[in-house]
Amino acid sequence: MFTTGSKLLIGSSVLALLATLLFGIFDGGLLGSVALISATVALSVLAGINVFTRDANVGSDETESFGGAAAASGRPGASMWPFTIGLAATTITLGLVTYTAIFVLGLILLMAGLVEWLVQAWSERASAETGHNSEVRARMLHPAEMPAGAAIGLGVVIYAFSRVMLGLPSKTSTIVAFSVVAMIVLAIGSLIGSRRTISAPAMTGGFAIAAVVLVSGGAVAGLNGEREIEEHNTTAYYAAKDQCGAEEISADEHASQTVAGKASSAAEIFLTESGTIEFQMPGDSSRRSDALQLPRSNPNNLLMRNESSEPRRFVIDLAEGYEGSPPRMCTQIIEEGGVQLLTVEFAVPSFAPEVEAVGGYRFTVPGVESASLEVVVP
Amino acid sequence: MITSRRLIAAFAATALLSSCASDAPQDTWKPAGENAQMIHDLQWPIFLVAGIVGVIVLAFIALIVVKFRDRGQAMPEQSHGKAWLEYLFIAIPAVILTTIAIPTVGVVMALADTDDTECIINVTGQQWWWEYDYPVSADGTICGFTPSVADASPIITSGQVVIPTGTKVLLRGTSRDVIHSYWIPRLNGKRDMVPGRVHYLRLQSETPGIYAGQCTEFCGLSHANMRMETIALEPADFQRWLDNELEPYAAPVDGSLAAEGEATYIAQCARCHQVNGLVDDRGTDDPSDDSLVVSYPDQFVYSGAAPNLTNLMGRNTFAGATYDLLTDECRADVWEADPSEFGDLYLEGVTEDCLNEIELREWLRNSPAKKPMYADPEMLTETDGKTRGMPYLALSEDQIDQLIAYLLERK
Repeated sequence: MFTTGSKLLIGSSVLALLATLLFGIFDGGLLGSVALISATVALSVLAGINVFTRDANVGSDETESFGGAAAASGRPGASMWPFTIGLAATTITLGLVTYTAIFVLGLILLMAGLVEWLVQAWSERASAETGHNSEVRARMLHPAEMPAGAAIGLGVVIYAFSRVMLGLPSKTSTIVAFSVVAMIVLAIGSLIGSRRTISAPAMTGGFAIAAVVLVSGGAVAGLNGEREIEEHNTTAYYAAKDQCGAEEISADEHASQTVAGKASSAAEIFLTESGTIEFQMPGDSSRRSDALQLPRSNPNNLLMRNESSEPRRFVIDLAEGYEGSPPRMCTQIIEEGGVQLLTVEFAVPSFAPEVEAVGGYRFTVPGVESASLEVVVP
Repeated sequence: MITSRRLIAAFAATALLSSCASDAPQDTWKPAGENAQMIHDLQWPIFLVAGIVGVIVLAFIALIVVKFRDRGQAMPEQSHGKAWLEYLFIAIPAVILTTIAIPTVGVVMALADTDDTECIINVTGQQWWWEYDYPVSADGTICGFTPSVADASPIITSGQVVIPTGTKVLLRGTSRDVIHSYWIPRLNGKRDMVPGRVHYLRLQSETPGIYAGQCTEFCGLSHANMRMETIALEPADFQRWLDNELEPYAAPVDGSLAAEGEATYIAQCARCHQVNGLVDDRGTDDPSDDSLVVSYPDQFVYSGAAPNLTNLMGRNTFAGATYDLLTDECRADVWEADPSEFGDLYLEGVTEDCLNEIELREWLRNSPAKKPMYADPEMLTETDGKTRGMPYLALSEDQIDQLIAYLLERK
């Protein structure tokens, strides 16, 4: 008489053999054939061993072995850890040929699965009382399981939510979606709060539905990819690359990192309607046009304003050859009435011979002869 | 019981002694200008109110502890909530805080006002000293004073900021490396100086004198040694100081020790420290060989700056105002001078007799040993070899002699 385990393995062997034959007839791929033949052989060997050992069942005539036989113990509980370890092995294999991160994830999964399986197996034999065994396992593993589970759950929620937000077609729809979700959460929260009692299954069901919706939405949004997000570099970025050509590049208007600089600039510089350059220093309400004094070796945030009736750019020549000092810096084209932030650092003072050789530091505006502002660096 | 009495006595003695500091130049309770006076006028009533509230609360606690202490009595009836008492305990703090907030906001707004500025001075913090530069106005004046020389250049100095008395000065500050905080307790409150931002601080002094301050934002190894002094001079004295600062460079007499010091300075110090107008003749008599000496601290120092030494002996501190250039006796003469005589004494600068040569010599011999700085070459990998502060220069005693002779003439 065949035992249950033997039946399973014999059936699997037959199925593997059938699959091998069918694969050989209809496809004939070498790799697949080798894999299926290997599986058939492996399963057949396992089935043979199992038949021979009779699934480790004790014969009826060996009465002294009854007490220690597996059949005499309580049935082990259902366990997800063998499946987890199988998954881990697959992930590790996948990681070996794809990304290191997947390999590491597989290793973590493997370690976690092994520990859980070992502790579970040990706790199920800790005593004859199932309840006590379960409590022992909980005491051992809950301090690790709870925070890890919470972190993983929170990470999944945040990641799925961020995918949904980034996957929505526009900023407006993101705001709308955010508002709708917030309102739903508020409404459900109010509903729960208004009831005297609420059943555990209802709560669990509600959260399960929310989790499924969120994770599904995240998966779909993640597969669709993020919406196209335009990158805006600052004027300082372009200036540092010495992009002072005729090109017109949108800068600053949407570059959020310049907000802090604009909020606290070292000076405001104006190209006036009459074609002159004026400046205004913080703490001084008057606009001047004589000479702007700026400190040395310090990033000076300058707000460049175009009050003329044509798009213009400001240019300043710096001493060449010093660290952090490109030979020329400029704003991008500034529209009429527009403003850009330019961060300029002077490595050497105005009186240095190499600076005097280029006529000193001076802001100019190409195409406007009268636009010139001396910069003094003490 | 004896232990408790001793503890109380020790506490009382400590509290009493802590109020007895006589040599306390950074005393916020001794305002010397309009801005500090505004803060002072505000803090007195607030401390008074806070003190009264504190005493009442402590008295109630003491009363409750004594009256309801456990003497074996039966547990009293337990109850919760007394609406009128809770409303009262909300109303009383609300009224007190509102009463305090009204004048506080007024003072905060007044201290942030920049419309009445009469003199603007730029201040830049770096590890671990303050640099000041005086911008030239459109009409050619500096701080509202007309320099004796035409087309004056901006004045640049460090350690001590000189201001005219009775003038509303606005410090326009920033930082070159990390966040610092500027505080002259007798002249105004604190103001953080953040890299990339510009901050304002009003200063005003009615009385000539020296007002000491201290960086109050932890900024690295020598934060405690990042000091500053404000020198308030009568307007006439300020004019003299201004004109002296703008004097053209005076080279040492040929063949003198100071002349040797000039050569040593160019070789050892000028790559970081600027002396305005200093010319290197390259050892020849041909004027066409002369070249203006320009420092490039940005290549050697992390902050990109080093103190300008043009008129070092015109101020009487060095190393970020950590050390005095004056001996103790001469320093006391200046610090304790009558306001009417202060200007003359200060403007005399550092004379040979008054020079604190011991500490200046020690500084030149091994500056990182005098003031903790990140100047160890093995620890400069993060800054690509640039120091934070002055490095060890391995100067010989002869070179130090020469440098001291040269620097003594820088005023």
